[in-house]
Amino acid sequence: MLLSLLIFLPLLGSLLITLLPDSRASWFRWIALVVTFIEMLLASAAYTYFDTTVAGYQLLEQANWITLSLGRLGVTSIDYLVGVDGISLPLIVLSAVVMFIGVISSWNTTYRQKAYYALYLLLTGTIMGCFVALDFFLFFLFFEFMLLPMYFLIGLWGGPRREYASIKFFLYTLLGSLLILLVMIGLYLSVMDPVSTAVAAGLATDPSAVTDDLIHTLQTYLQNGRIGPAQVVHTFDMRYLSDGGNYLPDTFLNPASQPILMGLPVRWLAFWAVFIGFAIKLPIVPVHTWLPDAHVEAPTPVSVVLAGVLLKIGGYGFLRIVWQFFPDGATHYAEVLAGLGTLSIVYGGLNALAQADLKKMIAYSSVSHMGFVLLGIASITAEGINGAVYQMVSHGILSSMLFLIAGVVYDRTHDRRIDSYRGLMQPMPQYTTLTTVAFFGSLGLPGFSGFVGELFTLMGSFQSVWLPGWFTVVSTTGILLAAAYFLWTLQRMFFGPYWSRHDIKTSLTDLTSREKLLLIPLGIMALVLGIFPNLVFNVTSATVAQWLVKFSVE
Amino acid sequence: MSLSFPVLIATLLGLPFAGFLASAIAGRRMAGGLAVSLSSVGLLLSVYLALHQPAKIEIVQLKWAVLSNVSFGLSFQVDTLTTVMLVLVHFIALLVQIYSLSYLHDEPKLRRYFASLQLFIGAMLGIVLAGNLLVLYIFWELVGLASYLLIGFYAERLAATRAAKKAFLMNRIGDAGFLLGIFLTYYQFDTLELATLAAHQNGILPLTILGVCLFMGCVGKSAQFPLLTWLPDAMEGPTPVSALLHAATMVAAGIFLLARIHPLLSPDALLIVTLVGTITTIWGGYSAVFQTDIKKVLAFSTVSQLGLMVAGMGTGNVAGSLFHLLTHAFFKAGLFLGAGAVIHAVHTQDMRQMGGLRKTLPITFVAYAICAAALSGVPFFAGFLSKEAILGGAFHWASEQRSGMLIIIPILLLLSSAMTAFYMVRQLKLIFFGSYQNKLVRLKQTHEPDWLMRGPIVLLAGLSVWFWFSVNPFSADASWAYRLFEPKDESHPIWLAPVSIALVLAGGWLGFRLQEPSPNQRYVRLSVYYGFIDTWYQYFVIIPTQKLATLLNRTDQRGVDKVVNGAGITTVVLAHLTYGFDRLGVDGLVNGLAWLVSRIGRVTRYVQNGRVQSYITAAVVGLLLILWWLL
Repeated sequence: MLLSLLIFLPLLGSLLITLLPDSRASWFRWIALVVTFIEMLLASAAYTYFDTTVAGYQLLEQANWITLSLGRLGVTSIDYLVGVDGISLPLIVLSAVVMFIGVISSWNTTYRQKAYYALYLLLTGTIMGCFVALDFFLFFLFFEFMLLPMYFLIGLWGGPRREYASIKFFLYTLLGSLLILLVMIGLYLSVMDPVSTAVAAGLATDPSAVTDDLIHTLQTYLQNGRIGPAQVVHTFDMRYLSDGGNYLPDTFLNPASQPILMGLPVRWLAFWAVFIGFAIKLPIVPVHTWLPDAHVEAPTPVSVVLAGVLLKIGGYGFLRIVWQFFPDGATHYAEVLAGLGTLSIVYGGLNALAQADLKKMIAYSSVSHMGFVLLGIASITAEGINGAVYQMVSHGILSSMLFLIAGVVYDRTHDRRIDSYRGLMQPMPQYTTLTTVAFFGSLGLPGFSGFVGELFTLMGSFQSVWLPGWFTVVSTTGILLAAAYFLWTLQRMFFGPYWSRHDIKTSLTDLTSREKLLLIPLGIMALVLGIFPNLVFNVTSATVAQWLVKFSVE
Repeated sequence: MSLSFPVLIATLLGLPFAGFLASAIAGRRMAGGLAVSLSSVGLLLSVYLALHQPAKIEIVQLKWAVLSNVSFGLSFQVDTLTTVMLVLVHFIALLVQIYSLSYLHDEPKLRRYFASLQLFIGAMLGIVLAGNLLVLYIFWELVGLASYLLIGFYAERLAATRAAKKAFLMNRIGDAGFLLGIFLTYYQFDTLELATLAAHQNGILPLTILGVCLFMGCVGKSAQFPLLTWLPDAMEGPTPVSALLHAATMVAAGIFLLARIHPLLSPDALLIVTLVGTITTIWGGYSAVFQTDIKKVLAFSTVSQLGLMVAGMGTGNVAGSLFHLLTHAFFKAGLFLGAGAVIHAVHTQDMRQMGGLRKTLPITFVAYAICAAALSGVPFFAGFLSKEAILGGAFHWASEQRSGMLIIIPILLLLSSAMTAFYMVRQLKLIFFGSYQNKLVRLKQTHEPDWLMRGPIVLLAGLSVWFWFSVNPFSADASWAYRLFEPKDESHPIWLAPVSIALVLAGGWLGFRLQEPSPNQRYVRLSVYYGFIDTWYQYFVIIPTQKLATLLNRTDQRGVDKVVNGAGITTVVLAHLTYGFDRLGVDGLVNGLAWLVSRIGRVTRYVQNGRVQSYITAAVVGLLLILWWLL
């Protein structure tokens, strides 16, 4: 019930806003605020009820959605299947917090409030759906549907080049979705649902009678060809997709048969397709160029949501889908993948160093920080995977804070260029203090969450049996570059004698109480997580241990 | 022991961090008093701990990050070195804060100042108390933050914020290596606990690269070659900060680190440490010689002394280096606080504008001279003892090496201490002797500072005299302070003491007789710009990095993004072409046919009316349908 509420409450809120007349415009933001606040409570409830000792999925809800008998081709079944484990739960809590922060940050939006908040809540619901869906089809549905509100939120409420940015974002992600869709169909055709198949084959009377032993027998039967195609129940259930035994013999994606296409096994091609699909979202160099544009044009709250939550779906997809469905590809290409992570770290960092626009600098720093996520995942170690999840949570908090900080100066002067200001410390001391906190948190100062994420992903990459040590050495320059671009910005914009390109000292007022209400809790969260990393690791560690079983080297 | 050990550690660490938060909230006047009282309590607790020193190493473990099969804990340990450092840090910090009450009396941002100082003390205590490399690294970086905040304290001065950034970045370079060293240690030994690692001493030989990586942390923090140029710039911070962080304690953290990781250094790594230390001590010493800024002379002499300590560590003389760390902390802090008193009096840091101040600042003069004598290694002062310990150890080390060439190392170290005497005497002469040069402040207006400032200076000068450390003024061997660090018992050459005394006196005499050369002389510029090392960085590191960043950014926008936009544009163009083809080609064909047919029809209509016309219409429609179906 809890997880369904997480998905459907915002969707209902969105509907409610759509149905209310425009004369009730002042209600919209309150509805959004209340809904996202309840989402936060629900997410905290899930965090509280979550049993950290259990590795598998919890709070499962399953309902039959579509079942079609296709005769000779077997049976199709798509389920409404939701649940959480240690990998999705931290991201759900993060999303709830960031979406709530986003509403407060949107508080002064006046342009087309009804559409804005309706889309915003729609986005909230689809994001939650993405993180809890355990049926690939359901996941894909939410994944695709997320594009729609995002497209309009950038395209309607964005900056001067919003149309270019929103279309670019849309097409890029759509291309990724297409690749994911292809693989999804391939997987679907290749995999059986062992429970339903057992029933269909007459090995069990009803689903509850299916035991692990029976599933094992059934999988042997399947590989021996003793289960006919008509008896196979096809599935999108991710729990079954990640088990190699469920793959039908002689299908494209069967790990044992390995048909070759264009000189490569089809499974590896499929691995790359679905990897690119999620790499666009994360984003990973070289498919990252939608990000700076989208960020620069998006309004502050949308940037916050984009950096804080949406990017994490890429990392989540890696962990849930890419690495789990294609462990063979992930280990075969471990070095290439870690290389892409390293490239993102260094390339993003160097680009951030070259930016003249504060928001673009932060956007490129996101590319660099997301590189650590890929590096950690590619390491396939407990440190790396736990660290990657942690890094996503940490980046969610810190990048939200950074984009809010960029929004503060933009709100006042509509100019975000770094060289338009000097010595902002004098008119805006509180702003400077909180910026310093956010910058040092992001550059990985111990005590803040950024340090823990980088420490564990780097350590994971160093301990990994799949990777040579020099990836870690090169990636460590990322923390140097981060210090360089953040401190250089701090020095140029905030310190020194006061000067501004605009003769508007009066409008450069210090933080309002609403801005403080946003920034201070985020700063405290980054600090608390940095001092007590077990808040995240408690939840993730058991699941990650289970996750790694697939890769254990005999 | 009546106070439980974990409570004691928690209190020691908690006090400054509480002070950091409280100073940020407290009133402007309250902040200083609060800081001083917190540090006094800390000092009392440290002394208590030192007196109730447990026989074995005490360790406290805390859970921090528990992954399913691996766990990273925070651990704290107390041994002799810890207690000595605890007392030292608290003592200097207390004096510096008392001094600051007067020195920064009119400073509007006093709260921020004391908050940052408390943050520094907390972080420094964390390093000292660290029981594993992870904790050490965490507080190591926090010390970097405190240093950043304090160097950039005068944030409206561009030079100060630049110096702060430079210090943090250069330290980060070292820290990146340090972090890799930690990874390597964990990789090779599966633990980061210092006590366990020390026990590995006789087992597996650590990788050389491991030791070198860990040593990089020290190279950054203790301003060793080639990362030494942040320290002179750090003098942009308030002078008491220079005394505490950039002379006595923070920069000594690198030496402390070396003492902690000494068992992890392979013979090759130790040789690298020795070489770096030796280069640094010469480089720093020569750079101090012709500086004109009173604080920069002291800064470079700190670099040089740190190099000496590092070289001592490299030659396996942990006790000697730690002893020098201890004595150096007193006299160097005393020198900086004395320099603060001089600056306070004449409102300039340029020594060419001073002179003759011994008449108006007699107490400061005497204290400064004592500290300078200690630094130069004059007998009867503390520095002589600890320098002899290091130099003696170095000669002993060289005699044990297979390569006779390495005798050059102790000889260079010996010469560098003669150089110390040279530039310290030159500095004393410029400040306190000769005639007064400043036009802005008249000599009569210069005066001694009040007792809040004078007290710490006098106390530190007093502690720079030999008898606090050893009964015998000519040998450290019997020194109780040296014995604390459990030195190896080895024989030092008997000629060393007389030779080094002679060299120091010669250096001092030359320094006093020196005619200031023209600043354009090449050898003067080499010293003043410390070997042009920053220029190299500018041309070989900073500018290339910026160029690379700009280039990549251009590539990103014109290259990578061009591909994306190009794909988009190509698709749109293709779409237009298809549409054009559809309209002109396919549809044109259809329309053309229709036109042709209707033309024919019109012609035929003239011929025949009625049924034929409807037949043709039906035929055309049929043809169109067939065409559509086909295409």
